[in-house]
Amino acid sequence: MEEQARLFNLQYAMYTIVFIAVSSLALGYLARIMARLRGFSQAEQRKVFWGFMFAGPWIVGFLIFVLGPALASLYYSFTNYQIGDKIEWAGLDNYRTLLLNEGRQGRNFNKAMLNSFYYAIIGVPLQIGAALGMAMLLNNEMRGIRIFRMIFYMPVILAGGPAILLAWRYMLASNGGFVNESLQKFADTFVVFDYIYRGFIYLMEAFNGFYIGITTGDPLGPISFTIAGAAGLLLIGLLALGEWTEGKRTMAWRSAQIIGIVIVYRLMAKGLMADPVDPAWIYFLGIVVLASTMSMAWQRQPRIKLVQGAGLVILLAAVVGVLSHTDYDATSVEARRYFIPAALVAVPMLGSWVGRWNTQKYRVLGGCLAVLSLILFVRLASGQLDGHHLNVVTHYLTFGSTLEHTDDLNYLDKVYPANQMSSLWFFGLTVAVMLGMALLNETYPRARRWLSYGALAFFALFTIGSYLDGRTYFQAFEKIAEAAGKPVYHFAMFRQATSEFPVAGRVPLWMNSELWSKPSLILITMWSSGTGMLIFLAALKNVPRSMYEAAEVDGANTLQRFFKITLPLISPAMFYNLVIGLIAALQTFENVYILQTPLTVDSLQSAAFLLYSRTFSELHIGEGAAMSWILVVIIVTLTILQFRFSRSWVHYEA
Amino acid sequence: MAMRTKTLSWSNVRHAPVVRRSAQQLQGVLLYAILIAGALFFLFPLVWMVGTSLKTIDEVGRSQLHLLPEVAQWVNYEKVLEDSNFWRSYINSIFIVTLVLFGTITSVSFVAFSFSRLEWKGRGMVFALMMSTLMLPYQATLVPQYVIFHKLEWIRTFNPITLPGFFAGGASLIFLLRQFMLGIPKELDEAAMIDGANPFQIYWHIIMPLSRPAVATITVFLFVGQWNNLMMPLIYLQKPALYTMPIYVAQKLNLQEVPLPWQDVMAASVLFVIPVLVVFMLTQRYFIEGITTTGSKG
Repeated sequence: MEEQARLFNLQYAMYTIVFIAVSSLALGYLARIMARLRGFSQAEQRKVFWGFMFAGPWIVGFLIFVLGPALASLYYSFTNYQIGDKIEWAGLDNYRTLLLNEGRQGRNFNKAMLNSFYYAIIGVPLQIGAALGMAMLLNNEMRGIRIFRMIFYMPVILAGGPAILLAWRYMLASNGGFVNESLQKFADTFVVFDYIYRGFIYLMEAFNGFYIGITTGDPLGPISFTIAGAAGLLLIGLLALGEWTEGKRTMAWRSAQIIGIVIVYRLMAKGLMADPVDPAWIYFLGIVVLASTMSMAWQRQPRIKLVQGAGLVILLAAVVGVLSHTDYDATSVEARRYFIPAALVAVPMLGSWVGRWNTQKYRVLGGCLAVLSLILFVRLASGQLDGHHLNVVTHYLTFGSTLEHTDDLNYLDKVYPANQMSSLWFFGLTVAVMLGMALLNETYPRARRWLSYGALAFFALFTIGSYLDGRTYFQAFEKIAEAAGKPVYHFAMFRQATSEFPVAGRVPLWMNSELWSKPSLILITMWSSGTGMLIFLAALKNVPRSMYEAAEVDGANTLQRFFKITLPLISPAMFYNLVIGLIAALQTFENVYILQTPLTVDSLQSAAFLLYSRTFSELHIGEGAAMSWILVVIIVTLTILQFRFSRSWVHYEA
Repeated sequence: MAMRTKTLSWSNVRHAPVVRRSAQQLQGVLLYAILIAGALFFLFPLVWMVGTSLKTIDEVGRSQLHLLPEVAQWVNYEKVLEDSNFWRSYINSIFIVTLVLFGTITSVSFVAFSFSRLEWKGRGMVFALMMSTLMLPYQATLVPQYVIFHKLEWIRTFNPITLPGFFAGGASLIFLLRQFMLGIPKELDEAAMIDGANPFQIYWHIIMPLSRPAVATITVFLFVGQWNNLMMPLIYLQKPALYTMPIYVAQKLNLQEVPLPWQDVMAASVLFVIPVLVVFMLTQRYFIEGITTTGSKG
């Protein structure tokens, strides 16, 4: 049986080799012909022939195994393809399900995505920290250091396979497992350690309970607004108080960019994908396009024409797309809601596109931006945009008096989910304030001041209002959840704070509890962070010793030397580890596959794992492909963002 | 300020030899202590794995603080070695890894040679394209690849696992080898070229022999990656006769059994890990020292 399979395989290996040889040769000749047609010299032609022929295996493989499949999967993601079935076009259905978290599948995906982010946001920094610590330790020339380097690196070669993961899983057994037993022994012996240990358990359970509350989609309710409001308050407070500096302008600009990206993502998901399409996203796209044009003009970036052109094209396409939903009736009320913002963006854009840039255009663009924001704000405040007529902003600004609180399930289940779009407007406002502060100072410094004070007052009212409302909400929610016998995980944070400190002898449950499963996985990845260690070690070798000596003479202490010399000089290695680590974390799969049990699969499963099980266990190819493309977009976006932000902290000079 | 540093350095100079030496000694001892603690942490799961694999099932149920069994139970290993499934999986794994190593190393070295030693118009663009595929997660292409292999009726064969490697699979491996080949002096090729050698001869007689350390490094990475690979075999093999070692080990743990026979699982795991460890021990100086001395520039 298996002998047959091996022979079969060997036979095809032969065919493959012949195929690769022939196609590489053909590629070489093809390249040569192309070179001749383009008028290259004889020598050049020969070089092109050899070059393409040697690179042939990769190019052919790329076409067959990367480019072709990538395009095919993009196509599948718009269908409801299941193996064995006929392929049917499904449009955006898959994406809608996944991104809007509709139904069981959508909620599962949301959960898996949040788990992946947990691995990325909490796991990667810990991993990099461990790797850096190990590298610093091993960067000493002393006897036997090679053996230590080998041992520290060894987990990497083991961690990829199932064997060691199974061993870890057993060692982390909550009852009688080695880790817990030895920690408990320690705790019994040293009283101080016992308190630290229990404190650790307490914090971990509180945090993970809270996180699970978020992932399982228990309504977070007004607490999400309170957190966002408080963050906005802090940010604007930082910017508004004291003198306005270049650093503050950058900070305002950066935060607007970050929040803007979040908004664009949510708009993509909610506004654009809602059926029928919600026009509000044109406002935001318009604001983003106008603002980025202004900013680029201000920074005198040469690619400004490109952005302006692209902005125009996107906007026009969007308007046409949206109009097709209103049957091209340009006089309808619907159409007007699209035309006004589109005109407000397209006209000044067109004007600024033609001819040279000058201050006049800058002011026109700024004016349009202001008008657009104003309309948005008025609509926002009057609850016109989301059509729910229940607006969190006005609601909280009046301390929740626009709604009557009841213990009714309807209140909890319908009101807050319906207002998810409203939270978008809130964030949009934050961006507008940030951009306003960044840009206004150029022309009208006083306006910037007033804007800040107004925004401060607004955010303060908003935060207090949502907090007061949140209290009522949580009380009602807890009552209902308790009656239904449902665990209130999102509430664990507050429960823990009022409940008792873990009693002596309490142990972490590791793989047997959803509160501990993700930390267990991260512990194992930290154990095997040797690859990052090697990269850091290589970078540390390149730091000249004379620099430390010079710093020591100048009286710098160890900590200063680390932050002022080591970190800047190894920043390229740090950047590399960050990029690679983040990509790997978002693709976490094997660990989940081996470590999950029926009890912890929900709290462990990553997006890659869900994509796998959806495709290969349930054979929903279309949805699996959509998942993989959402993952691709996220990974590529994060990578690009990291490259962008790297300019400010990565130094490449030796 | 200037005064202060002056006085400080003056007092340092006086006692420097004595104070420095004992401080350094203390530092050295402390460093060793930390290093040994770290080494224990990293080695521990392995030691523990071996310990457990030699226990009886009763001992497995007891506290894990007892690392080693009272009497080593070699029976556990005998049981695994008598299992015909074990041998089948082992041989399957060795077969697959050998074929993948052969195909991948050959094709990767060709491509790396082209990207480093040959100069041709369009090289930069093709190379950039290759590097950008690193950003594309493999999950994105997994499904259509499955469909291709499904159409070819290659599911439940070894082909989908072994053959893609022949197409220079792994941009990171190509990159690694290319970086090394870039460091070989250009004069060697030019001299050979004047003597009338074609690129094939340069590749085979000059570049490949000189690239041995780098080839060894990518061989290890490839070997470890392939030996541990669980996902691809799971997706494509789908038949117990074709299963590889990772699947065998993963399936060894049957959650329905009470108490769980951890000693058997660990015995299989130890046997699974041995080849990787041996290869790692033999070649680690190539890449650990290699990477740490040449640096990671580029």
